[in-house]
Amino acid sequence: MNRVRIAKLILWLITGFAAAVALNRFIFGLGVTTNLNDATPWGLWIGFDVMGGVALAAGGFVLTAIVYIMKRDEFHPLVKPAVLTAFLGYLAVIFSLLVDLGLPWNIWHMIIYWNPHSPLFEVGWCVMLYTGVLMLEFSPVPLEKFSRYAKFRNFLMKYRFVFVMLGIMLSTLHQSSLGSLFLIMPFKLFPLWYSNILPVQFFISAVALGLMMVAFESLASHWLYKRKPESNLVAKLCKTTIWVLGVYFIVKLVDLIAQDKFGLILNGSWQSNLFISEIMISVIIPVIMFSIPKLRNHTAVQWIGSFMVVFGMMLNRIDVGGLVMLGNTGDSYTPLLTEIMISLGIISIAALVFLFAIENFNIWELQPKEPDSLPHTLPEFDYSSRTWLGTPEVSGITRHTLAFIISFAVGMALIPGKQLQSGGIDNVKVNRASGIDSLYINGNRDDQFVNFPHQAHIARIGKENCTTCHHLNLPGEKLSECWQCHSSMYSNVDFFQHDWHASTNGAGLKCNDCHKQGINRSIESAKKCTGCHKTYNFTANQKNDNTRYYTLSYTDALHNLCVSCHLKKAKESADKPYLARCSTCHKSELPENLTAGINWKISLPHFNSVILPDVKPVIMKTE
Amino acid sequence: MSKAILTDITKCIGCLECVAACKKTHNLESDVPRVWQKNDGLSSENWTSIIRKPDDHYIRKQCRHCIEPSCVSVCPVGALHKTEIGAVVYDADKCLGCRYCMMACPYGIPRYEWDKAVPHVEKCILCYDRIIKGEQPACTDACPQKATIFGERSELLKIAHTRIKENPGKYIDKVWGEHEVGGTSVLYLSDINLDFLSYPVNLGDKPLPEKTATAMESVPFAFVGMGGVMLGLNWIIRRRMNLSKESNEKESPDE
Repeated sequence: MNRVRIAKLILWLITGFAAAVALNRFIFGLGVTTNLNDATPWGLWIGFDVMGGVALAAGGFVLTAIVYIMKRDEFHPLVKPAVLTAFLGYLAVIFSLLVDLGLPWNIWHMIIYWNPHSPLFEVGWCVMLYTGVLMLEFSPVPLEKFSRYAKFRNFLMKYRFVFVMLGIMLSTLHQSSLGSLFLIMPFKLFPLWYSNILPVQFFISAVALGLMMVAFESLASHWLYKRKPESNLVAKLCKTTIWVLGVYFIVKLVDLIAQDKFGLILNGSWQSNLFISEIMISVIIPVIMFSIPKLRNHTAVQWIGSFMVVFGMMLNRIDVGGLVMLGNTGDSYTPLLTEIMISLGIISIAALVFLFAIENFNIWELQPKEPDSLPHTLPEFDYSSRTWLGTPEVSGITRHTLAFIISFAVGMALIPGKQLQSGGIDNVKVNRASGIDSLYINGNRDDQFVNFPHQAHIARIGKENCTTCHHLNLPGEKLSECWQCHSSMYSNVDFFQHDWHASTNGAGLKCNDCHKQGINRSIESAKKCTGCHKTYNFTANQKNDNTRYYTLSYTDALHNLCVSCHLKKAKESADKPYLARCSTCHKSELPENLTAGINWKISLPHFNSVILPDVKPVIMKTE
Repeated sequence: MSKAILTDITKCIGCLECVAACKKTHNLESDVPRVWQKNDGLSSENWTSIIRKPDDHYIRKQCRHCIEPSCVSVCPVGALHKTEIGAVVYDADKCLGCRYCMMACPYGIPRYEWDKAVPHVEKCILCYDRIIKGEQPACTDACPQKATIFGERSELLKIAHTRIKENPGKYIDKVWGEHEVGGTSVLYLSDINLDFLSYPVNLGDKPLPEKTATAMESVPFAFVGMGGVMLGLNWIIRRRMNLSKESNEKESPDE
C-alpha cells in the first residue's frame, strides 16, 4: 500500500459516512441532525464550508493574476493545480450550501428574484458566475484528451485573458462581500472582529490564504505522490505572502486603534485570547518564519508556515461566521458529529476529484500513474497445487466501493435513532402534584403552576364520578394519579412495562402467558392488557387493541381532560366566561406556604412556552 | 399610512389571550418546547409570546416591524418585504432557506421550522391580511385589558406620550421603538427596562441596513476598479518587458 492508496481509502470511508449523514439530514430536517437553533441559525457549514471554502479557493484568482496579468512565468507550473483547486473549492461551497439551505431546490431563485441590497445576493451571483468562469478556465486541460473539441479548446485558449480578468474582478467582489455579510450585525459580532472595513480585511486575507493554500496543496500532493517538492516556487510564494500578511496586519491594527478597540485585545476574555491566537497563528509567526531566507527555503518550515496561515485564516472565517457571536447570543453552539462529518465528506469528495484529475489529466509536467491501474498478472491461488501465489489484491474500484458501502452502513448505524425520532423534544419527567384539598400541579417545575381545587371538583361532579378523571387504576390501586402513566411532559410514551412483567422480581410471567406458542412474538400477537387487567379503562384514542399502549404526554392529557370540560361549562353558564382561558388555571407564582423549604428548580428552556390545548374530548365514559 | 401596535406593559395581566388568538388566526399548531428554541416563548408555532418578569410584569414579544427592516434588506431573494401599511411579510414560495434574516434581526424574531424536511421561516406578519380587510390584528382584538392597541403609528406615539405626561412617575420616559434602529411599528410603554428584548448592545437610532449600504454601493466601483488596475498593471508590465527585450536586441549585436 502506498500513500495514495491509503489516502484514497480514507477519503472514501469519510465520503460514505458523510453520505449517510446527508441522507438523514434531508429526511429528518436540520433540527435533529444539527445543533443549529433559533439563536445560532448559521453554524459550521456556513462558517467553515462556505466562508472558509470560498477563501481557500482564492488561490485560483491570485495565481492567474500573478502569471497572466503580472507575467511572472516562473509560477506557471502552479497555475493549473491552483485553478483546479479553486474550481473544486467553489463546487464544494455550492455542495455545502445545498446541504445547509433549508430549501436547496430553490437555490436558483436568486436568478429570478433580485434583491441587490443583500450582500448574500451579490455573493450568490458572483459564486455562480465565477464557478462558470473557472470551468472555462480549467476545461482546456481535460479537453486536451479529446481531439473532437480542439476547436472549442482553441477558442478557450484564445480568450483566456478575458476569463482571467473576469475571474479576478468577480473574486474581488465576493471575497470582500463575504465580509459585508456581517456588517449588519454589530449587535452580534464581538467588537474586535466587527469593523466597517470588514470587506477590505476579508479581501486581503483571502489573497494571503489563497497563496498559502496553493503552497500547502503543492507540498501535500507532491508528498503524496513521492515527488520532489517545488521548494523554490513555494519559497517565492512565501516571500510574496509576507507582504500581503503585512498589509493585512497594518490594516487591522490601524482599524482597531482608529475605532478605539485596542484595549479589548488585552482584557483577558476568551474572545481576546482567541483574537490574539488567531493573529499569532495567521500572521505574526508565519511572517517571522518566512522573513528569514534560510528558514523560508526549508521544506519543513514551508509545511508549517503555510499550514498556519491556512489554519489561522480559516479560524478567522469561523470566528466571524459565528464563533464570536456566541457571547452576545448567549447560546452555546457546538457542532454535532453529523455536521462535522458532512464538512469532512465534502472536502473528501473534492480531494478525490483532485487526485483523479492529477492522475488522468496533464496538470503536472510529469503525470503520475494511478496506482491501481497496474494489471495483476499473477493468479492469487493455484488450485492444482493448492498454494497461495501472492497476496490477494483487489482492484481500486472494488476496494473503494466496499469502503464507501461499509462506512455508509456504519454511518447509518451510528446516527442515534432516538434523537432523530424525538423531533427535538426533550424527555422531561413529570413531577407529582402536591397538596391535599387543593393540588398544585407543576409537572416540569418551571413555576408555571396550576392550582387545581381537587375537593371543589369532587363536590361538583359527585363522589361516584372519580373515574371521569381517574380513568385507569393500576393493579392494587384505587385512584392512580395522572403522572404515573402520563410520565413524560411533552412526548407520548409507551406505558406497558415489558421487562417488569417478565422479571421474576416483577410480575414473574412466562413468555407463553402472553405470547402464543408457535407464533412470532410481537406486540400484535400478544395478549391484550385487558385480558388480565379486567378493570383497565383505556381512553378512546388509545386503541385497546394490540398496538402499543401509548399514553399521551402530560400536557396533552391534562389539557384534553380539563379544557374540554371547561369549554363546555363556559358555554353553558354565562356567568363564567373566563373559565376556558389559559390564565384561569395557569398562574406564574407559587403561594409562599407551598414554596417554603422547597428548592424549585426552574428549567429555563421550557419557561415561556405556551402549549395550546388541542381540544377534543378523549375521555371515555365509564359504565 | 403606517399602522402600528402599542403595548402598555403596566396594563398587561399575562392572560395569554393574544397568544391564543394569534395561534387560532394563523392556524399554528400546538407547540412543545424543543431543543432549538430560545427561552422567550417564540417559535415557529408561536408568533407572539408573553415573557414573565418579576413583580407581575408581562411583556409581549412579537416582530417589531421595523421601519427599515434588516431582514428585508438582507434577504437575497426578497422573500421578506415591507408592505405599504408597515407590516413585514414573508413569501414562502420565494424563500430558499438561507436563514440570513434570522442572523440579521436585531431583535432575534424570525424562527425556523427546524423539525420539518421542508422548513420555512415563521414570524408575526402584523395580521396583514386582516388589516387590508379593515380589521385589526387578532392579538389587539383579543386583549381584554386594552393593554395592546392598534392604530396609526403617529397617533399611537401621541397616545404614548400623553400617557407618560398624564401619569408622572408611572412610566419610564421612553417609548420603546420610537427611534431605535430607525423606528419600529411595534411600540412599548413600560415601567421597567425593556432592553432585554434586543441583543445586549446599544442598537443606536440609525437603521441597520445603512451599515451594508456603503459596501454594497461600492460594489460596481470595486468591480470596474479592479479590472482597471489589473489591465493597467498588465499594460505596464508588458511594456516594460518589450522595452527590455528591445534593449536586449539592441545590445546583442555589440556583444
